[in-house]
Amino acid sequence: MKTIRYALGALIVGAGMAQAQDTTLSYMSWDPEQLEIEQEAIAAFEAANPGVKIETSAMPPKDYWPRLSALAASGDLPDVFMMSSGFVKEWAAADNLADLSGVVSDDELANYYEGAASIGVIDGKRVAFPQNWVAPVLYYNIDMFEAAGVPLPTTDWTWDDFLSAAKALTIDENGDGTVDVWGMSLYGRYAHIEPWVFRNGGRYLNADETALELNDEAVNALKFLTDLVNVEGVAPQPQEMEGVRQQDIMPLGMAAMWVDGSWNIANTRSIVGDDFRWGIAQVPVGPDATDDNVAAYAWADMLAVGKDSDNTALAWAFIQHMVGEGRDASDFLGGKVPAYIDIATSEGWLESDKMPANKGLLLEIGAQNVYTGFSKNWSGWRGYDSTGSSGMNGELDEVLNGRKPLDEAIDAFVLYGNDVLSR
Amino acid sequence: MRSSRKVRITALLFLAPTIIGLLVFRLVPIGWSFALSFYDWKIFDTPTFVGFGNYAHIFSSPTAYKVFLNSAYFSAIYVPGSIGLALVLAVLLNNGLRSSAFFRGAFFLPYITSTVAVTLAWRWIFSTKFGLLNNFLGWLGVDNAPAWLADPTWALPAVALVSIWKDVGFYMILLLAGLQTIDPTLYEAARVDGAKPIQRFFKVTVPLLTRSLFFVMILALVRSTQTFEITYALTNGGPNRASTTLAFYVYQNAFVEFEMGYAAALSYIMCFILGLFTLTNFYFRKRWVHDG
Repeated sequence: MKTIRYALGALIVGAGMAQAQDTTLSYMSWDPEQLEIEQEAIAAFEAANPGVKIETSAMPPKDYWPRLSALAASGDLPDVFMMSSGFVKEWAAADNLADLSGVVSDDELANYYEGAASIGVIDGKRVAFPQNWVAPVLYYNIDMFEAAGVPLPTTDWTWDDFLSAAKALTIDENGDGTVDVWGMSLYGRYAHIEPWVFRNGGRYLNADETALELNDEAVNALKFLTDLVNVEGVAPQPQEMEGVRQQDIMPLGMAAMWVDGSWNIANTRSIVGDDFRWGIAQVPVGPDATDDNVAAYAWADMLAVGKDSDNTALAWAFIQHMVGEGRDASDFLGGKVPAYIDIATSEGWLESDKMPANKGLLLEIGAQNVYTGFSKNWSGWRGYDSTGSSGMNGELDEVLNGRKPLDEAIDAFVLYGNDVLSR
Repeated sequence: MRSSRKVRITALLFLAPTIIGLLVFRLVPIGWSFALSFYDWKIFDTPTFVGFGNYAHIFSSPTAYKVFLNSAYFSAIYVPGSIGLALVLAVLLNNGLRSSAFFRGAFFLPYITSTVAVTLAWRWIFSTKFGLLNNFLGWLGVDNAPAWLADPTWALPAVALVSIWKDVGFYMILLLAGLQTIDPTLYEAARVDGAKPIQRFFKVTVPLLTRSLFFVMILALVRSTQTFEITYALTNGGPNRASTTLAFYVYQNAFVEFEMGYAAALSYIMCFILGLFTLTNFYFRKRWVHDG
């Protein structure tokens, strides 16, 4: 069935490409595991386009970006390559991405989630197209909620509701004065903090994204979050958990709630197994949110075409095949939501027989007003990959570990971040 | 005459691959990166000449200042720590420690083991809640053992400790080779003269080992400025840059933020500092190294 689907998809896309002969299209990915899964779809595209050979390569992100940057500098970008929401603005500004505005029709666009598709439009030009998207959600342990007699999270949960639940779920089982199970686990990285900030109407950046200027809503959200550790005592200091992967704390039953990207669904399934029941919920809307400023935090993994590609039309056909109906729901692991609506809404992807039983909740998030919060030099000022302990990350760690007041930390990361943004 | 020219040409031909390799892969990049340090270049943008702008920015940056201090602190722990421990181990092995062949191999093993693999093991040892070290300290009655890798006070010493553990076997082998060149009759003469073991060590061993010690010291100093893999795998330079040293900072600027000109300027400052220390060592060499 899966093979037939790939072949049909490739035939549909390939119908307009019958002229392509003896052409090699290079495709580069930052996900070796995903590329393995994609091999069948790639083979189907080649079969539907005789004479076309897809030359693939994949490496993890820490190697992918230096390699791709070097290729861009030498004018040898692949025809098709993965593009992150976090870096697309920088890459478009450097004129590395082919303009696909003319080849993507409105009819075609209607098949994809609008929020995800809009991320690839920079200054009115379409420079990338989404393959899948992800969004942070609140993971919760249903068994712990029921044991403590706490109602399960709902879409209209307030931050007060969340805090009350977190308090009730923070438990010292043997009365020795040490918490054994935490109501919440918190980490100072983008996937764990920004959902709360944006759901409170908070923004870090000024309107043209050239400087860090935190609005009051952002500061209030950071205060609420850091108080969970330092004042309310419902979440552990990150340093106490050093040595345990942050994304494993809730699945290991050490905390009842945790906010993380939907990609962590796969990891949670793998660790929890049948040990307990768990679900996902939207991150609660904050007290400062209004209809105008509230936003869902989500971003897309996209495909782009190199600006010097000699095969833009063929490259676009390949992208259509790789993001569209030629793909199977099982190609999208766990919480990676296919950008193509028909696949995302299919039972194959919703997996209602597995936990979380309410995976379709992610689709509701995708239909909301989405804000990514990414800017030029984002990885520098926020902290990502091997800059993960610096910038805003490092300062928030200091606050969460009780070593620095929040206002001092904000001053420090704004100063540092604006220096990074000014470069 | 003809034969001499032929020999020269033959020699040049044999040397050519090495010379060309050296030029293409070492000298030209070295020169190019020096020129680059005067440019603002975000890898795929057009480079812009900024004169000493990168250097000025580095010297006025609180982050760079912190990184320089961290680097000095790391060297201050690593250089004496690794040489001291290597010397102790080398002397023990040289003095006929039982199963010395086994220990020689055991001490050298970390040096040739995959850095990432051993660092993962050390991450577990240093883990706050489930780590071997803190559990051991718990048995000894220490209730509030530090979060070794998440506490700014301890993160850099932890990186230095693992670096020492990893490299000490290599320095030990070099010193052991030096020890084995010392004439045993000198020890016998000292013993006959009534010298105690500690006196024999400081009056015979150390003076005759100074050449090896000098070599090891230069190596350790250079290596202390190049620490990268262990930092990357153990602390990622954190918490909040507490364990970020120069080599790691150069990597972050070059390959995460792609500020190539800035990273090149940092590299040349590192090169200058290292050169200065090495020259200083050579200057003072004659005061403590016995060449006879």
